[in-house]
Amino acid sequence: MKSVYGNYAKVKSETVLEVINLKTWFFTRRGTVKAVNGVDFALKSGECLCLVGESGCGKSVTALSILRLFDSPPGRIVQGEVIYKGTDLTKCPMPYLRKIRGKDIAMVFQNAQSSLNPVFTIGDQIAEQVMVHERISRSEALDRARMLMEEMNIPQPGRALKMYPHQMSGGMKQRAMIAMGLSCNPAILIADEPTTSVDVTIRAQIIYILQELKNGRDMSVIFITHDLSLVKEIGDRAAVVYGGKIVEVAPVEHILKNPSHPYTVGLIDCLPDISAQNKRLPSIPGNTPNPLDMPPGCPFHPRCPKVMDICRVVEPATVNITDVHAVSCHLFVNMDGGSGNG
Amino acid sequence: MVSNLLLQVKGLRKYYRVTAGLMSRTRGEIRAVDGVSLAIKRGEVLGLVGESGCGKSTLGKIILRLEEPTAGEINFNGIDVINLKGRDLREMRGKMQIVFQDPDSSLDPRMTVGGSIEEALVVHGISDSAELEERVARLMEKVGLEAGFRERYPHEFSGGQKQRIGIARALAMDPQLIIADEPVSALDVSVQAQVLNLMMDIRDRDGLAYLFVSHDLSVVRYLSDRVAVMYLGKIVELADKEEFFRAPLHPYTEALLSAIASLRPDGRNRILLTGDVPSPLNPPSGCRFHTRCHRMMPVCQQIEPQLTESAPGHYISCHLYA
Amino acid sequence: MTDIKQVCCGRPAVDKRLLHYYWERLSKNRMSIAGLGFIVFLSLVGIFGPIFIPDPQKTDFEIKNMPPIGFSIDESVYDIKTGEFTTTVILGRPDHPLGTDSKGRDMLAMLISGARISLLVGLLATGIAIFLGTFIGVLSAYSGGWVDNALMRFTDIMMTFPFFLLLVMIVFIFGPSLAIIVLVIGLTGWTGAARLIRSETLSIRTRDFITASRALGASDARIMFNHLIPNVSSLVIVMATLSIPGVIMAEAALSFIGLGDPMSTSWGTVLNTGQHSLDTAWWVAVEPGIALFFTVLSFNFFGDGLRDAFDPKASI
Repeated sequence: MKSVYGNYAKVKSETVLEVINLKTWFFTRRGTVKAVNGVDFALKSGECLCLVGESGCGKSVTALSILRLFDSPPGRIVQGEVIYKGTDLTKCPMPYLRKIRGKDIAMVFQNAQSSLNPVFTIGDQIAEQVMVHERISRSEALDRARMLMEEMNIPQPGRALKMYPHQMSGGMKQRAMIAMGLSCNPAILIADEPTTSVDVTIRAQIIYILQELKNGRDMSVIFITHDLSLVKEIGDRAAVVYGGKIVEVAPVEHILKNPSHPYTVGLIDCLPDISAQNKRLPSIPGNTPNPLDMPPGCPFHPRCPKVMDICRVVEPATVNITDVHAVSCHLFVNMDGGSGNG
Repeated sequence: MVSNLLLQVKGLRKYYRVTAGLMSRTRGEIRAVDGVSLAIKRGEVLGLVGESGCGKSTLGKIILRLEEPTAGEINFNGIDVINLKGRDLREMRGKMQIVFQDPDSSLDPRMTVGGSIEEALVVHGISDSAELEERVARLMEKVGLEAGFRERYPHEFSGGQKQRIGIARALAMDPQLIIADEPVSALDVSVQAQVLNLMMDIRDRDGLAYLFVSHDLSVVRYLSDRVAVMYLGKIVELADKEEFFRAPLHPYTEALLSAIASLRPDGRNRILLTGDVPSPLNPPSGCRFHTRCHRMMPVCQQIEPQLTESAPGHYISCHLYA
Repeated sequence: MTDIKQVCCGRPAVDKRLLHYYWERLSKNRMSIAGLGFIVFLSLVGIFGPIFIPDPQKTDFEIKNMPPIGFSIDESVYDIKTGEFTTTVILGRPDHPLGTDSKGRDMLAMLISGARISLLVGLLATGIAIFLGTFIGVLSAYSGGWVDNALMRFTDIMMTFPFFLLLVMIVFIFGPSLAIIVLVIGLTGWTGAARLIRSETLSIRTRDFITASRALGASDARIMFNHLIPNVSSLVIVMATLSIPGVIMAEAALSFIGLGDPMSTSWGTVLNTGQHSLDTAWWVAVEPGIALFFTVLSFNFFGDGLRDAFDPKASI
């Protein structure tokens, strides 16, 4: 009999990264863009945490904020902490952060086309990454690159190392990017929509590789996506992001079987594959909020079918409805099953 | 008696010549569409699926004569479309329309949305401004937009609203067929549902037929009556929706469906294709899919399979079922 | 080419809402608005100024080389009778607030009429160049094929044309005049515009809304006039605005080296007369120099602001 926690039971309980009340705002001439507006989560060792949300919800900026990779100015972390190995990455000096980048925490971006340097071969790019962080020779670095290419199921890895990005197909480029991310054996891999720009069959290959990686390496993954079906395939836990905040977080099976936040409910309902067919698709009325002009109170309230007066005024606190499932919604304020923080 | 068949395409081909050098020597041919035949009935939704480079978008454009085919026949309402000219061509254009993928580039940023919607009417000779205004208002209401927004510019609308405006523009001349080229791929999930619902409503109310081109199989499953799969310029499978998703035959279709866990037919394992899509400049010999096929046989490398009807209404192009 | 009447009906030439939108974006750029302010000021001066001033060409050797108001200069005069130099201090006078040149002509009057000349030359020459450039660029991009090739090769040839040599030859044959300068600059300066406008048109042509218009049955003419040209217009306006200072400087430079009309009071001509008396009457060279400097700067600021306002990707 499968445990109610499903995959989640295999995850160790040690926390490897902790994000506390993170706020990253962009100060532009048009106003202040509150891209990330109070995000809390903890990443456990060996788990794959999916940040799920639609465009503009702040999930990518959250990932960039962990390594302070966003443009600053105009962006700035105005509040919050990102604790890794006891250090707050939001405030640590740049040399330390650079050591962490690529080696401890690596990032894979959405668009491999623009993330790979067109004038260097793939082998050179991966080797460079390794040599920056580790004291090994170039030939050893290239060996490791070759092993990584094999791990990525890239045919003829030796030949692939000598290729330039424009000679590779979209799927190969994406896998090369993942290889780069893994080159220094990071403890945490942040993958920002790595399969959005590739075809379905290539996507399947990449997901397969990521699943193998998760099982093979001792690595935690933060997986950013808007695609709930991907979350189901690869995630252990899912955090739903809306309006720069996390509105619900729970193990994937929980969220899919028992979604609590009205936004999560709406998001799952309006998917054509999971809902019943040939009937009218339920949809969420209105549009995603403009980060320049966030509504007061709960960011979802203008579109929420269960909106109450308090939602328009007061931001909801995060409440634990079970010891693994937390929601940020006024509907659950009195249902605090565990130790709520609000 | 009016035939039930709205659109019939036979043996459609579109080859692009690749030239190189100062004197533009022909280096090769890209066979974007290579012998496609299909039919769409009145009021039916035919889903057309395939990955990048398979030719599905090109097929849509050729049917509308936005590009000229290299060979083949296109019959719309029994009329030969390929040889139409002048006013006849323009009249046909009113009956077959297109909706694009990218909401940001599908509307002229310098034109009010009312102007974009009414353009079809103006082009077809309606010049009375009162009538134009009334018809535009009705079209906007039909797609769920306030008629008072007609004086606004595209940048004032969201992605989903822009797609609705694109749909309103396509509906202006009461078309019978709409070619929807990835109409919801660029939209957020919650907005996708809104636009899909709208398209279904219009279909139910006006009896429109759609050629729904998409790479997103779950959307196709929701909307279509029949589904066709294209690979490197050819149709490899065509079947009724239920049959297609329950028991796909072609190995490529199997791989496509198995790529998405929720669509994997019951009892089937996941299939992973090796390698990447071959270049359309240099398609493999024999069956184009044989280089990645997990059920390849020797004959597949040599002889190209033909599209045959293996069961009523179920067409397949594969030596396994010849 | 079908129904032009049908093509252009029903659309106002300039739409108020769109203008308002662009104005809002533009007004957030202070330098740009300052530039615009100066341009407006200059235009008023150029248009109405010459009505109020005395004839700038009027010479009066009695009052030659007078400094501007508030400044003074020493003048040494050799008295034949006494055989000595007497130095007197000459002060600026309110009736010639900017001083006079070596022939006693009033500087302010010359600068004001020079403003009119600069603006005229700037606008006319730019107008000719941009009109030609747009016409050739759009036609080339829209036609494609051999027409495009032919026009672009023609543009390449014109680009290498030695316009300076041409100007010298024409001036030699016909004598110097402002009209010649305007024509030569206009007829040779369109090449850059043509290329840019052509490439912009090419990129607009592939966008979905053009395909949508074709799918509706719109004629080529309709697409060109109702869709292509309005979308290129912002590029054209920005290019024109940024070309004007170049043209003004070109005219000033040509007048400075003597190829302009010596009887005109263009800023370049004044600069020319002023270069010989930098130590005795420095203001004759400095004043038109300052005028040119601010004019060019203003057009550049305004043009930059316009470009940012029109660019949909620039977040303003």
